[in-house]
Amino acid sequence: MTFVSIDRAEGEVTGGSVTRPDRPRGRPRRRPLGGPRWVGWAFVLPGLVGLVVFIVVPQLASLVLGFSDSTVLGGTEFTGWENYARLFRDPQFLNSVLVTAIFVLVYVPANIAISLAMAMWLQTRIAGRSWLRVIFLIPALSPMVANAAVFRLLFQQDGAVNQALAAIGLAPIPWLSDGNWALAVVIGVSLWQSFGYNMIVLGAGLDSISPDVIAASRIDGAGRFRRLFSITLPLVSPALFFTTVLTVIGAWSTFAQAYVITGGGPGNSTMTIMLYLYQTAFSNNQLGYASAIATVLFVIIAIFTLFQLWGQKKWVHYD
Amino acid sequence: MTSRMNDGRSRRRIGVTATTGLLVLGLTACSGTGGASSGLDGDTLTMYTWVGGKADKQQWADYIAGGEQADPSMSVSFSGPPIGDYYTKLPTVMRSNSAPCLVTFQNGRVNPYVEGLEPLDELVQDNKLDLSAYSSAMLEQLSVDDELYALPFNAGPTVILYNKQMFKDAGVAEPTNGWTTDEFIAAAKATTKDGVYGFAIGQGSNPISTLMAADGHPYADEDGPLLDDPNFHDALQLLVDLANVHKVAKPLEAAAGGTFPDIDAFNTGQAAMEMQGLWDLQHAQESLGEENVGIAVIPSENGQSKGFIGGSGFGITKTCGDKQQAFEAIAAMTSKAGLDEVTKSQASVPARLDSLDAWSANVGSPEFTEVIRQMTGDATPSPVPPNQSQLDTLLTQYEVEAFSGQRTVAEVLEQVKAGLAQ
Repeated sequence: MTFVSIDRAEGEVTGGSVTRPDRPRGRPRRRPLGGPRWVGWAFVLPGLVGLVVFIVVPQLASLVLGFSDSTVLGGTEFTGWENYARLFRDPQFLNSVLVTAIFVLVYVPANIAISLAMAMWLQTRIAGRSWLRVIFLIPALSPMVANAAVFRLLFQQDGAVNQALAAIGLAPIPWLSDGNWALAVVIGVSLWQSFGYNMIVLGAGLDSISPDVIAASRIDGAGRFRRLFSITLPLVSPALFFTTVLTVIGAWSTFAQAYVITGGGPGNSTMTIMLYLYQTAFSNNQLGYASAIATVLFVIIAIFTLFQLWGQKKWVHYD
Repeated sequence: MTSRMNDGRSRRRIGVTATTGLLVLGLTACSGTGGASSGLDGDTLTMYTWVGGKADKQQWADYIAGGEQADPSMSVSFSGPPIGDYYTKLPTVMRSNSAPCLVTFQNGRVNPYVEGLEPLDELVQDNKLDLSAYSSAMLEQLSVDDELYALPFNAGPTVILYNKQMFKDAGVAEPTNGWTTDEFIAAAKATTKDGVYGFAIGQGSNPISTLMAADGHPYADEDGPLLDDPNFHDALQLLVDLANVHKVAKPLEAAAGGTFPDIDAFNTGQAAMEMQGLWDLQHAQESLGEENVGIAVIPSENGQSKGFIGGSGFGITKTCGDKQQAFEAIAAMTSKAGLDEVTKSQASVPARLDSLDAWSANVGSPEFTEVIRQMTGDATPSPVPPNQSQLDTLLTQYEVEAFSGQRTVAEVLEQVKAGLAQ
């Protein structure tokens, strides 16, 4: 077999056989595949600059501010770990962690279950399924603040929801006066807003399952549930993993729904970590303490994400 | 080998330097330091204020037109978010590189922002401005530690706005300037019918501070709200009772801060009365008809109501590039000529006593003038505490639990106190 090799470094062409140029020992030298190295950097640079300026620098700045008593208008003094120690003594913060954890525990499984069920329903041969996909995606495309403001009106004591309940002879529900119901409203609105996006991603995952595999399982006598748990779910697991990771991150940083619908109330029953952070920074003017809250939230989200990345080995199938 | 180590060290050094540089950049990027042109757009002073819609835009355009009437060389432009977001955004805006020269404050709320404001006493002296023309109660409210931080432009006393047609339909006499709390409750009961409430309750501290002021009790001192004062408790209890005992008002529900369910209810004909600053009068008149909106003093226990002054003023930021020009502008906008001009189109009460006659003539109602004279002439001094914004946020959150019966008023106030202590 004859090869023609081009030594780009030397510009030397040899024919007839493979020539191995002398290389220094150690790590093999990497060569650019399609041009000089700066071309690659030129492609990466805009994204990299954006990442550094808008993500890395603010994160580091927030980390530094977390060790100070900085206010928005006033000066800054280094206070060491005081803000972090205060977090564990602050019942408002501890409550916000509990509220957010409840939100995550209810919202994430419900979101994934509804999205998957809807995606599977839209896989069936129903009329207008393309239109239905678009309709279910509309809430995800409309601004959360506008949606939340409308839901606030619907769930008022004399709003449309209670009027509908009255029309069928049911007693009104104190949606926005009772803490438990208010949290249920915030979770419900969040689900309504966001399941469409996950439904599209999971639908794409379901579309990628080969019909041959399903047909083979039918021939082998697998029933509906066996097919779901042994064929469909394992094969859609990469998409499930992706949606779960993003949904968990979004759930821990929930803000707009609680801010617009309930303002964190009644009492502090819907006070999420992000809302408490916002109030601490801009209502209470405690930028340093708010930065410490931001760092803790970052750590919580990082732990959950790493745990999910580690856990994927056990249930996500990439082939 | 040594060279490679040096290379590594120098790369690390470059990396550390770059990271530190970026961090410093990040920390300083949002901190305005001010310069000769800071807060100016050419020769035009920029003003950051609340702009929630057409009415707000018109209001600021009128104050600027009034200022230009007094000083034709004055040039001011304005921008800003709705009032609900204004006070949370204000500190960040004042600290930013695009900080304005002028800012505005409602209800005397300068205290939390003094670190970013220019004290005005020296400018007042240098420009020989006669402060005695302004309401002394408002000057006091816009001062912290005896230093003045804003020039008042309107007095904004809180009053009862009532729907005259609803009073007539219910056969209730219109309120007098000596009406008592019991008479107010009776009027609210009579006008509550057919899904319409007699009274709409506002969120946060304003209704409480107004009711306390009517009986001569300040709701706060310079250290904070007087949550342990039994009068504070009684004022909130009265609001809760209006909803739960007398059934003349809709109970408050959880809502985002900065929303105004009371204004919405009154202006859409779902409530016969509300307790608001006169800044809402024009809006109410547009919604319900000019002849249909009456104003009355705040009811009091003994019928001798005192006013709650919520003076609004123009302040100058510390970073403003030309503080003299800024001062001349706010002096022009609050001058007699300026405020007289504003009364031609705005119902808000001017902060200058010598402009009250123009206001009476232009707003054109002797009954209005009588109410305003009583509310501004005998006002309860009410300093605005530094944690006012936090107080409003916490009260808005927790008072809902008193209306729903989950907590007593005393428990709610304990919760608010604990929140303020954090």
